[in-house]
Amino acid sequence: MPLRKRLFSLFAALAVTLAATAASPRVDPAQLLREAVGAYGKLSYVGQIQNVDFGSSHTNAVLFRVEHRAPDLLRRWYLAPESLYGDSIISHGDMEYDVDVHQRRVVVARDDAVDDQVALDDNFDLLLRNYKAILGPNDTVAGRPAFEVLLVNKYTGETVIRLSLDSTTKLVLQRERFGSTGAVTNQMRFEQIRYTASIPSQVFDVPGGYRRVKGQNHGLPSNDLARVVRAAGFDARGPRLLPEGFLPVTGDVTDVQGVRTLHVMYSDGLRTISLFENARGAAVDMSHYTIHAAKVRNYDAQYVEDGSTTLLAWQQGSLHFALVGDLTVNELTRIGASV
Amino acid sequence: MTEHLGYETLIDYMHAGLTPEQDAQVYAHLESCAVCRSEYDSELALTDSLRTYVAQDAREMPASVKAEIWARVRDARPSAIAHISDWFRPAVAIPMAAAIALAAYFGTAYIGPRGPAPIDAAYFLQDHASLASTVPFSDRSNPDAADFQTSNAPTAVDPVAVSTTASYMADATP
Repeated sequence: MPLRKRLFSLFAALAVTLAATAASPRVDPAQLLREAVGAYGKLSYVGQIQNVDFGSSHTNAVLFRVEHRAPDLLRRWYLAPESLYGDSIISHGDMEYDVDVHQRRVVVARDDAVDDQVALDDNFDLLLRNYKAILGPNDTVAGRPAFEVLLVNKYTGETVIRLSLDSTTKLVLQRERFGSTGAVTNQMRFEQIRYTASIPSQVFDVPGGYRRVKGQNHGLPSNDLARVVRAAGFDARGPRLLPEGFLPVTGDVTDVQGVRTLHVMYSDGLRTISLFENARGAAVDMSHYTIHAAKVRNYDAQYVEDGSTTLLAWQQGSLHFALVGDLTVNELTRIGASV
Repeated sequence: MTEHLGYETLIDYMHAGLTPEQDAQVYAHLESCAVCRSEYDSELALTDSLRTYVAQDAREMPASVKAEIWARVRDARPSAIAHISDWFRPAVAIPMAAAIALAAYFGTAYIGPRGPAPIDAAYFLQDHASLASTVPFSDRSNPDAADFQTSNAPTAVDPVAVSTTASYMADATP
């Protein structure tokens, strides 16, 4: 083939490639995730959501209607299970009102961590450091086209979360979490969604005539962990072994029933582990759950499962420990053994 | 006093059992009445003879017998029953009961295995969920299910609330 023809073919191929690239906009998964994190605070919508927590032996499922007016008004109306039917949760920023129509009471609680933008940013940086975002095949959720993004752990190669993001608004329409075995541990999915800016304020009013009950407040945690540990007032201990990518990110010291309790949370940006400890001999009351026996090294331990969350508790000398996380009991036991 | 003293009066006089006035009258009578004096002396002699006889009857035990008895007392071990009964002797039992009562009143806050009440597992789960809400795509950083802190007794839903919800479902899809 003459040189002129060869050059022509080469330029033609290049032109076609460039044209094709220009026609389909490049999608940056990391940018998608960033937009997804901010979407909730910018969009107003009504819809219906199904959430299922898959434990190792049983499953908790709820179905609820949701009204959200940006940036931070939210109401969830429970439709199922029947035991929750008619109850609702109203959120005004960091204030939460659990409306219990059955007992005609409202449980009021404040959670300062909801507004902790610094912690959110830190965790998002950790997420990008420890996870690779991979675009999956396009999807359709609740009748809306969606981008599928897989978050794959860089150290284990395991997919930890699969997100379906509204292709226009980037809102998370579906989320699936996977355990270390590959089993699905949680699925959240919009069954219906409509974006609307005209949600009446009364929807978010806390109903009157109900008895108000103080719920469990949560103060603003600190990322100055050295100060937090000093504030505990006892010789606190931490795990020497954590899954790859986990770091201590935040903590607090709280007096629980008069017992000074240290709480340090470890995160890899997506998954979290909490270690609670006290030196006052206060054990964990698991009587409302199905209790299982375990061993942390040679120490007798007990654990319970709440959906996909496991709580492992044991005593080691004068210290009482409770380890909580969306991990299997074997994973938690290994971490506990290194404390 | 001209009459002779009676036997009872003489005995009471001997044992100093009369009033001072009677004692003085009897003393004066004995000084002047030989019959009563003789009777009084006879009674004194009889009393002295009785004391002498009693004193002679209380003989000293031989030293060897006393030593043997004390040796057996020292070697003898009390029985278990005797041990237990010792604890109930008033000299031991009363102070011991008082000490137990004081310990029960003041001491239970400081001694014994009683620690603080256990903390409900729900506290740990909720506090973990609270801090975990700062993680992207966690349960609480997106509008999906959250812990509901109410009882679960089933009753009818408020129909007004549901219809309010449905009335503004205008589609504003971007």
